Amino acid sequence: MSELTYRIKHRTSYEYSGRIDLCHSLLHLRPCEKKGQNVVEHKIHISPSPGFQSVRKDYFGNTTQYFSIQQSHGRLEVTSFVTVTKQEVTPEIPDSRITLDNEAQLSEMANGFESGIPLLNFLEPSCACPNIEQLDTFLKPTIISKHEIIEIAHDLMSRIFTDFTYLPGATQVSTPLIDVLAKKHGVCQDFAHVMIAALRRIGIPARYVSGYLETVPPPGQEKLQGADATHAWVEAYTPKTGWVGFDPTNDQIPGHQHIKICHGRDYFDVQPLRGVFLGAGSQKLLVEVDVERV
Amino acid sequence: MSSHSLSPDSLTETSHYQTMDDRRDESIASDGSIRPEWSELFKSVERHGIEGVARWQETAARISRERGLAYRPATLDESASQGWSIDPIPWIVSAERWSVFESGITQRLRLSEALLADIYGEQKLFKNNLVPMSIVLKHRGFLRTLHNAPPGNGIVGLGLCAFDLARDSKGRTFIVNDRFDRPSGLGLALENRTIVNKVLPNLFRRCGVRRIGSFFADWFERLAQYSNNTDSDPLVVILDDSSQHEDSEISFLANYCGVTRVHPSDITVRDGRVWIKALRGLVPVDVIWKSTPGCGLDALESEIRPCFGIPGIFEAIREGNVAVASHPGSEVIQSAALYPFLPKLCREFLGEDLLLPPVQTWWCGEKAGLSHVTANIDKMVVKSAGNPHLFGTHYGRLLSDAEKTALIGQIRDNPGDFVGQEELEISSIPASRPHGLTPRSAVLRTFSFLGADGTASVMPGGLARVSRVDGMIITTRETGDSKDVWVRSKKEEAPYDISSVLSISGFRAPDIVSSRTGENLYWSGRYAERTSLAVRFASRLIDCRIRGISGVKGFEAEHEKILVDSLFKIFDCPILSPDMTPDARLMSIFKDPNCPAGITFGLERFNYATQSAREEWSPVSVQAISACYDQWIQSINQVDSFFELEPALDELQLNLSAFLGQNLDSMTRDSGWALLDAGRRIERGSNICGLLKTLVTSNLSGEMDTIFNESILYFLDSVRTYQSNFYEKPKTELTTLLLLGENDYPKSITHVLERLYGLLKKLPTPENRPHPRDRIPLISAKLIEFVVELYQWKKHDSFDSKVTAEFLDELIEFFNRLSDILTTSYFSHAEISE
Repeated sequence: MSELTYRIKHRTSYEYSGRIDLCHSLLHLRPCEKKGQNVVEHKIHISPSPGFQSVRKDYFGNTTQYFSIQQSHGRLEVTSFVTVTKQEVTPEIPDSRITLDNEAQLSEMANGFESGIPLLNFLEPSCACPNIEQLDTFLKPTIISKHEIIEIAHDLMSRIFTDFTYLPGATQVSTPLIDVLAKKHGVCQDFAHVMIAALRRIGIPARYVSGYLETVPPPGQEKLQGADATHAWVEAYTPKTGWVGFDPTNDQIPGHQHIKICHGRDYFDVQPLRGVFLGAGSQKLLVEVDVERV
Repeated sequence: MSSHSLSPDSLTETSHYQTMDDRRDESIASDGSIRPEWSELFKSVERHGIEGVARWQETAARISRERGLAYRPATLDESASQGWSIDPIPWIVSAERWSVFESGITQRLRLSEALLADIYGEQKLFKNNLVPMSIVLKHRGFLRTLHNAPPGNGIVGLGLCAFDLARDSKGRTFIVNDRFDRPSGLGLALENRTIVNKVLPNLFRRCGVRRIGSFFADWFERLAQYSNNTDSDPLVVILDDSSQHEDSEISFLANYCGVTRVHPSDITVRDGRVWIKALRGLVPVDVIWKSTPGCGLDALESEIRPCFGIPGIFEAIREGNVAVASHPGSEVIQSAALYPFLPKLCREFLGEDLLLPPVQTWWCGEKAGLSHVTANIDKMVVKSAGNPHLFGTHYGRLLSDAEKTALIGQIRDNPGDFVGQEELEISSIPASRPHGLTPRSAVLRTFSFLGADGTASVMPGGLARVSRVDGMIITTRETGDSKDVWVRSKKEEAPYDISSVLSISGFRAPDIVSSRTGENLYWSGRYAERTSLAVRFASRLIDCRIRGISGVKGFEAEHEKILVDSLFKIFDCPILSPDMTPDARLMSIFKDPNCPAGITFGLERFNYATQSAREEWSPVSVQAISACYDQWIQSINQVDSFFELEPALDELQLNLSAFLGQNLDSMTRDSGWALLDAGRRIERGSNICGLLKTLVTSNLSGEMDTIFNESILYFLDSVRTYQSNFYEKPKTELTTLLLLGENDYPKSITHVLERLYGLLKKLPTPENRPHPRDRIPLISAKLIEFVVELYQWKKHDSFDSKVTAEFLDELIEFFNRLSDILTTSYFSHAEISE
């Protein structure tokens, strides 16, 4: 298997109508190191330059960076430059050897730890993934026909891909899960949240993954710079398999084209850029992502 | 003291107090005899009779009124609306009993500290299966973001803690509640002690009551020790987000102890440390004693949305640049779901048996707990396990059958979110009522903290709360009476003077005028002035409507349109719809709270700013402020036609003048006052220029021009001054000359600038930037030049309206810029861009 190198440029800019006197931000932008993924280089450029910054690991083990901009400014730009190498893989679907009716094993899992963190974190409802009964209608066809956990997850992924319409702009980060379930459209974040909430409801630990996706241009066309966005997918856990990735937006098991940044209970744990601004006026957000294979 | 050598007759039943048959009483033993520690009190009651007790109550009520402390349960716990009142009859605890309480509290304190450190650190309690994980993981007070910041290494664990004690029918003592995150009631306890000591000074002395003053001194010394700043005396502040519109027990504590009280909006985080925004610049803070919820402390990292906390403060905590007591994540160990596990945890963490048990509790997340609670719902007190702000306290026996079924359903849906507690038969103590003493159930809130060496300090006293209605269980949310707690001493103690200790421990109590106060004063001035203009504007227009405009027939409508348009333009109002009727346009100036040129808009902001700076006003000013707002709102709500509002306008004008005049008279001429008056002058300067610009660009002529000039002069209350200066019909050149150049006239820009220069001189020089007053000489020089020009034009009877309009624009821009500069220099403290 060969090794692939990706160069990623991820730029987020805020344009403010008024002056901002002070801004505090928390970044989740550094891709994680994991099997098959190696970070060669990572730089973050912030403009205007921060008066203070610090880097630490968050509760989930992700690298997070805090900074404050203490001078009056009308525009904020954060650019993350990443070089990662990925092992080229043909994704396989592992077998967990656990079925949904195996209560003993499920409850053992609920009390287990993974990387020092209680798995229960990924079983309890979270802000964007509430435990609502509307999930049952969606779950029903899958749990009738499938029994093994990874198989269930795989089926849910495929069904989100078939039943839901990818419709950028139709939802926002604040759109509640119940609306996404009812209208059956949204973007990758929404699909990930639906799948996570569904898995948790039947007792399978699931977490949200934020990352990048290499998009392959249609045949004969040149790949557009900045056409990509950040991506989101799901990981489900079983003791035998560990975390297994599922991308419901593309009905794919994430492979070398999926570059993972970090994971959390849902989007709000791993927002690429979260900020609190002190100042008057409205803001305009622009995000550009280039994923380039070199 | 010989408090125990009572004569035999005093041990008999007292004629003034009848205990409840079925309930244990703290003052009367089961054989009817008075317990020894209460004997002096009952002797005193016998001697003074019912009338005496009533007098004590009256005196206590009077003193507490005079001291101005509003008793509100909001200060005692999260919600509820009615106030607490004080009952001068104390809860008396014997020295022996107290030492039992004390050792139990000390142990719980050590256990709680160990538990907190473990939850944010090693998590032995999960790994060793001591506690079901979901109790912690689902609690809103478990802050994952502080997982890397456990207590220790410069990060504070527990600060001040409160444990509520209650005793049951068998005389067993339970801890029924604990508060670590922001225990309330310490200020009330102090206040009660102060008042009761004044009402019953002799009894207090005879009983040999232990003093609580040294506890406060020790606590403040402890706070200073939390500081990681070894270079200088630490600055300790109390962080309090209680509404600025009310007094709180925190302000009482702050005053008593001489500690700076700050609001979250007074605080900023820069360079990874915490600062107070003050008029004199940013002042570094070393220790924060917070009375705000930890889970909402940091707006950047909080999981609660929306959150109005201090963004960046958790980073400052992690950096060790500020010590916050208690640890913001300490609310998690308040979970009642932990109670059933405390005996086990105590053995595990301390290797000891739990001395004071918690009230018996069942967590519904466990099957046994769930079935016990649902089967015995009548006897249960049901509470939330993790989010007490979402679900209050429910007494099974008070619920209807339907309510019980609903509650059980709710519990079954999410069992892990609920606990059931045994309802205790809480013992009673004597409470004073108009007809004498009567038994009431009571809970005793104690206050304690751990010292740097791990030894506990427990306040010898506390805050007792009694139910107002007989038989009702006291909850923290319920209203009731509060009582002082007297712990009897075996030896005489000298009174304690806290101020002497605070000065020894090196407490800095700096004289800080906060930026928030400064900003509110500034905007009080600006909105008073703006409202005043809007009132005169409205008066003039109504006058024109009622009495017409002499001279030019049919000009009324056009006159009104030009004026309203220009006023809206000056205040950047949203473009008015062209279909709006003239009446609707005029009405928006009166009533529309969203119209920046309107009276209601200005008054609402005036009211907000003045209320937010309420500690700055004299009592008379406070009256004037509320008169301005209340009477106006009342009037506009009663009246449909603006013609009827004429008297209200006059009244408002008068009230505003009273407010401004009163401040002139009573305020110290310090930086706060300078900002108030500077706000007025900047608003006035900017408005004069705006109105003049409308005038010089109006292109009216003849009578209409005269009327328009008159209106502008009227708005600024300058008609008479004009007449006495010029002896001719108002015309634009002369109006301009008066309002720009007249030296000794407060409504002229020349005077406004001169005055501003004097006012700004009173403000400190901001760090790293020029003093705002230095901006004035240049514009003043330009003004003088322009006024010379005006005189030239007057002489030659020529007037260049274009050049004038340009200069007015420059002046308007100057006032706007000056306002921005004051904001960044003194209020927001923004750094200058590179």
